[in-house]
Order: sequence, then C-alpha cells, then structure tokens
Amino acid sequence: MRQRMRYLYMKITKTISLFPRMLLQAALLMLFIGMVAFCAAGSMEQEPLTVRADIGVVVRDEDTITRMAFQYVENLESASQVCRFVRMSEDEGFQALEKGEIAALIVLPEQIVQGIMDGRNPSVDIFFPENAGLEAMLLRELTESGSGLLRVAQAQIYGAYDTAVEYGIMEQLSVMEADIDTYNLAFALDRLALYDTEPVSATGRMSVPQYYAASGMVLFLLLSGMALYPVMRQEPAAFRRQLMRQGTGSAWQGFCQWICCFLCTVLVICGIWIAGVIAGAAAPDLMEKITVMTAGGGAYESAAMKTGIFLLVLVTVSAYTCLLYSIAGSRTGSILLIFLLSVVMVYLSGGLVPSVFLPQAVQAVGEKLPTAYLIRAVGGLYAGYSAGSAGQCAAGLCAYTAVFGIAAHLLGKRD
Amino acid sequence: MNNITSSYGRKQILSGASFTAGRGECVGIVGANGCGKSTLLSVLAGTLKPKKGEVLYYGQMAWGDGSTGRMHGDREVIRRMTGYVPQENPLIPELTVYDNLRLWYPDKKVLAQELEQGFLSLLGIGAYKDKQAGRLSGGMKKRVSIGIAMAGMPPILLLDEPGAALDLVCKEDIRRYLQTYLERKGTVVITTHEESELDLCHKIYVMKDGQLLQTDNRLRGAALVGMF
Repeated sequence: MRQRMRYLYMKITKTISLFPRMLLQAALLMLFIGMVAFCAAGSMEQEPLTVRADIGVVVRDEDTITRMAFQYVENLESASQVCRFVRMSEDEGFQALEKGEIAALIVLPEQIVQGIMDGRNPSVDIFFPENAGLEAMLLRELTESGSGLLRVAQAQIYGAYDTAVEYGIMEQLSVMEADIDTYNLAFALDRLALYDTEPVSATGRMSVPQYYAASGMVLFLLLSGMALYPVMRQEPAAFRRQLMRQGTGSAWQGFCQWICCFLCTVLVICGIWIAGVIAGAAAPDLMEKITVMTAGGGAYESAAMKTGIFLLVLVTVSAYTCLLYSIAGSRTGSILLIFLLSVVMVYLSGGLVPSVFLPQAVQAVGEKLPTAYLIRAVGGLYAGYSAGSAGQCAAGLCAYTAVFGIAAHLLGKRD
Repeated sequence: MNNITSSYGRKQILSGASFTAGRGECVGIVGANGCGKSTLLSVLAGTLKPKKGEVLYYGQMAWGDGSTGRMHGDREVIRRMTGYVPQENPLIPELTVYDNLRLWYPDKKVLAQELEQGFLSLLGIGAYKDKQAGRLSGGMKKRVSIGIAMAGMPPILLLDEPGAALDLVCKEDIRRYLQTYLERKGTVVITTHEESELDLCHKIYVMKDGQLLQTDNRLRGAALVGMF
C-alpha cells in the first residue's frame, strides 16, 4: 500500500510541476473558443432567425373571384413575410406534405367566395404534417388565432341580424354592423391580445446566452484535455513493469492517472474563476452584463447540489479524457482524437446548433451521448433543473464515468 | 530455474530452459537477437508468467505448479529476492533522480544513507541526484536504473543487456560495481552481447531454440558470434 501511495504522490508531484505549462495552453484554447463564440454571437445578432414556410394551396373550383381573392391574400405583406403560397393539385399537395416539402396544405372548397358572400361559409381544410416542425407549429398557431378572430366577427354579425329581426329594428342593422366593424377593426389592431402567449425556444429552458455558456463550457472542458498530454502520456513500459513487480497493478496506475487528470481539470476551473474575478475587478460593467445574461435559477436545486453536479461533470470529463489517451497513445493521435470526437459529439448533442434544427435521427442519437448530459448538467447550473432532470443528469454522468473508467482499465491491461 | 516453458500466443519462446547459480556467482546468457533472453529475464523478474517449470530463489519457490497443477507465482518472494534492470530505463523523465529513486526506496533515511555511503554512492548517483532524469546521459540513466533495482538490497540482480549503447568508461564503472556486488555474495544473471561483461561471469549459457546450453568460458567468443 505504501508503494501505491508513493506512486500516487509522485504522479501528483509531476502533475503540479507540469501544470503551469498546461494552464498556458488551456488559456490559449480558452481565448480561441472565446473569439469563436464572440464572432458567432455577433453574427447571430446581425441575422435574426427568420422562418419562411412554403404552403401548398389546392383550389378545387377556380373562378375569377376566387383567383382574385387568393391573389389578394397572397400579396398581403404580413402573409408574404412568413410564407409563400404554392398552387398545386390535391395529389401533388399530399405528396409534398409527406415529403416535408411544404409546411401545410390548404384545400379550398368549390365556390368558396360565393359561399362566404351568401352565408353558407364552406369550411376550408388545412392539413399539417404528422410531426410538425417549427414552421408548422407557428402556422398552426397563426391559423387557429385567425380563425378564432373570424368566428367571433361572424358571431357578432349574425347576433346583430337576429337581434334586429327579433326587435323589428332592421333599419338600425346597418348602424349596428358599422359599430361592429369599428370595434373589430380597433380590436384587430391589437390582435396580439387574441394569441396564446407561449414562448417557443430552440434552447429549451435556457436562454440563448445561458445555452451557449453551457455548451461552450463543456466544449472547453473536453478540449482542455488536449493540453494534458504531459500528464496523461503513458509512462515507459519498463517503468510500468517495475511497478507491476512491486504490486502496483494497471488498475491503480489508471486510477492515479484519472486522479491527476481530475486535479488538472479542477485547477483549470480555479484558474478560470480567478481570471474571472480579476476581469470583474478590471471591467465591472462587462462582468455585470455577462452575469445578468447568464443568471437564472430553478426551484429544485441547492448550492450543495449544484456543486455536486459540477464536480460530477469534472469527474466524467476526466474519465473521458483518460479513455481517449488510452485509445490513442501518441501525442498527435490523442490531440486529434480529443478534438474531433469532442467537436462532433458536442455538435450532435446540439451544443453548436440547437438540436431542434438537426434531423430527427441525429437528435435521437445526440441526446444519448455523454455530451448531451454534460450540456444539460452545466446548463442546469445557469437555468435551474426541472423536477427529476438533475437526477437524470447525475445518473447519466455516473453511468458514462463507469463505462469510460472500465474501458480505460481494460485498454491499460491490454498494454 | 528448472525446465521453464513460455510462449507469446502460439509462438514458443522458452522450451525447457534450466540453469542454476549460487551466491557470489555471475551467470551470463548470450544468444542471437530475438532468441528469448529478455523473455527469460522477464520470467525471472516476475513480469511474465511461465507456462511450465519452476523457479527457486535460494530454496524459496518463486514460480511453480505445485500440487494444483496450475502455474503460481509468489510475487513477494520475487520482489524481495530480485532486482531487475530492464533494457529500457524505468525512469520518469520529468522528475529528478532523487524523486525517481524515492518511489522505490520506502525509507528516506535508507535512501540518504545509500546515496552517501552505500551502493548508490558506488554508482556515483549522489552527484547528480537533483538533476532531471530526462536530461541525463545514457550511462547516467543506466546507473540510476541499477540503483532502482537495488532498492531493498535484493540478493539476486537481473540485468538485461546493461552495456548496450554505453561508452567504455560507463561500461567499466558498471562492471566494477557488479564486481563489488558479487564480492558481497550477491548473484548476478546478465544477458549480453558484450565480451567485456562476460569477463565477470562464472558460467556462460547460450540460448538456442528456447533452451540454455552451458558453454566453456574459453568458448565465449564463439558463443557471442552465434556459432552454437
């Protein structure tokens, strides 16, 4: 046991002696990621996300009045900003809907304009795809709100007509209709009052700054493993054999390796924290802005729980780094493997582009990756955890840590 | 060592290798590259498990199949009885010589004593104990490796080609050190391609086809050039 503890002590001594050099490399990496994030944030501000959907329109009976009415709606500025109407046959329309080429299909019945004018009001069928995307969701909301507005207006007109007939004041009907028009027009100007207010965000519970702060932190932690080569590289085979002779097996060697990796990761985080404190003192306005942007909180977590989850994040990241060094072996191989695997996994987990914008198959894979749990865990530190999500994150991270540790141990034994 | 058999996968490396060595005796093992000399030392050092046979150190069983029929190694006996100097140096280049030695010497006082007036001082390690191991010359590294193997003062020293890629002065220093060790009744098993190292040896074995053949000391030159 004394031999093992001396080995651990020696590893920690070596790690501490090498740490300043590694911290410098990590700082350069942080600077690089910070610059990329700054540029990305700038481009996001310049080009706000716009949604423009293609809507299929089937006109069963195309007469002049219908065509004129359709052109009128098509050219409305408010409509043309959010969608483009595409004329098509019914068969073409359903095929396009199935292929996801259009966000919705509107089927206009025969003599629709005539029907509106004579009060028959034939219904218009609107079809949405089964798994409606963001555009279809917005369109559905828009359509339901619009039809609600029309229903209210029609009920008012019929109500006024019935009232005039009932009380024998048909001569007053035109005045009543004019009043209703005035009222509805005034109300229509503030039509937002009719909409359900339901914020839809691609980043879920987190705000955009919180989301990118979380994914940026995870990416940084994963990539900072690239700077740990001096600590993580395997000792000479002759040295490891001597250790084995003395009863220090590959499991303990791997454990010590992981402890040193964890120590480095903690020290890097401490370094960032100290840098943050210094930056806060130097530029308090900027730091206050950043704090406000990323501040949040949930009802289910305490400071102890947040600390625990953050430590678990560091534990998992260290185990991940150890595994990749065990797989790659050489310096170049390790750096390439860490960079490529981390960036790809963060991308698949929606860390670079929110996962709702990725194909469904990618989303399904991405949400099971360790990076998804890491982003959710770090994101929860900013935005708070929903009921049960902290437990899920912790369980996922523990499971991945165990998998990484066992795999690294088996690879170490193979060597 | 009696009738040791060992293999890597399907390739048989040792097939019934046997030899004996007494206190104060040096045994040299020569043979062509890849004939199994290092494998033999690995078995003796306990880093490779043999398939069959037995190894005894001064009567204590190190490897043997005993009554169970399954090969069993007593690592404590191996660790206590042997010091092993592999071909590559078992050093951590980022640490100082002292820190490297400290890992293998459990007692600080013993290490200090060894550096001042013990075997480590004979090797001349004390003079550069504060240097980084990665910055040492090949000869210095080899001396430190021998120093590491001598931790706990084992009675048997196993050396795998200690003189490879060293200059003449360094080889001579190591030879002198081994001479002192033998005078103090230590046992040395050495694999080598160097004739000067065979000067120390009381017995020379040639390894061929996984077996050890004892040869006359006068024929060592022929053994080195692979005539056997």
